[in-house]
Amino acid sequence: MASGEVRLEVPAAPEFLRISRIMAAGVASRVGFTLDEVEDLRIAIDEVCFSMVGARGRTGTIALRYLLDADELAVEGTGRFSDGLGNAPVVSALSKQILAAVVDECELSAGEEGPRFRLVKRHRPA
Amino acid sequence: MAFDNKERDELRRKFHEYAQSRERSLRDDLVTAHMGLAEYLARRFTNRGEPLDDLVQVAALGLLKAVDRFDPERGLEFSTYATPTIVGELKRHFRDKGWAVRVPRRVQELHLRLGSVVSQLSQELGRSPTIGEIAQSAAVSEEEVLEAIEAGHAYRFTSLDAPSGNDDEMSLSAELGSEDQGLIDSEHRVTLSPLIAQFPPRERMILHLRFFEGLTQSEIAGRLGISQMHVSRLLARALAQLRNQAEDDS
Repeated sequence: MASGEVRLEVPAAPEFLRISRIMAAGVASRVGFTLDEVEDLRIAIDEVCFSMVGARGRTGTIALRYLLDADELAVEGTGRFSDGLGNAPVVSALSKQILAAVVDECELSAGEEGPRFRLVKRHRPA
Repeated sequence: MAFDNKERDELRRKFHEYAQSRERSLRDDLVTAHMGLAEYLARRFTNRGEPLDDLVQVAALGLLKAVDRFDPERGLEFSTYATPTIVGELKRHFRDKGWAVRVPRRVQELHLRLGSVVSQLSQELGRSPTIGEIAQSAAVSEEEVLEAIEAGHAYRFTSLDAPSGNDDEMSLSAELGSEDQGLIDSEHRVTLSPLIAQFPPRERMILHLRFFEGLTQSEIAGRLGISQMHVSRLLARALAQLRNQAEDDS
């Protein structure tokens, strides 16, 4: 099974969420994820990145690392914002519930230039 | 859309009369008379991937608001007053759509075709198929499959009042056993935010089963008797609506 790392850095604006999602789906299909798992990962990336940028976006970028391993995919995101609007993650109770339902692990924390996240989705062979 | 003096006087008279009487036929006349302005402004937004017809509809809505709010006593030309209102409506339309993108027909068609491909494969395999399996079965590349799946997420903003489904409008009572309904209702009272409670029953059910009961998309598809691609679209749309709602509230 393939392993390795793919990196992507996108402007912190909602219209770039799509690229983050597509990359997640592309990488997940490389490691043989099922459609259910790919869909979950896509929802997770969308939810967590949207919580970082909001509908109006922020000044800066989100750096994403997609880490492939046998039967699992971890995605790490680092906000690099220069708008002084805060570095702590802001996630609604509903978003937390959604994330908990679609990925195996999800940690959110405050980084030096913006919020950070790390989520893990495991492939479960039937 | 320039009016001659006679037309201008006539319109002015109608605006005054409408301000007094609020007569619907007068309003319709005034909107019709100024549709040229709405079309002109809509045309200026056409390079953003939206069909002109849709934009004209949006602009017409802005025009209607402007006609309703215009106060002829203040001596302002109607077009001067209406332009920012119409442009505002058009801009809001794009803002509401947010990250939505235009999906090429080829991708739309594959998206629709994958609905049955995925259902059939899931049944044959007894599990959710991988992207590779779907690609092979549909005789397209994995990238094309990914693109087609993504199309279901490149969702167009629709209002919460929109009907809950498009390819299969069966009643929810036909889909759910009574115990399911009871469970959902009691769970709603405890766990779900008022935001979710506003969704039509089908979306509420899907949100609940996926995010609170932990069923997979394919399990939900089986339970509700719809395709997984449809579940995926409904989920994506519901999540986008939740966001829009949260934004409006903040």
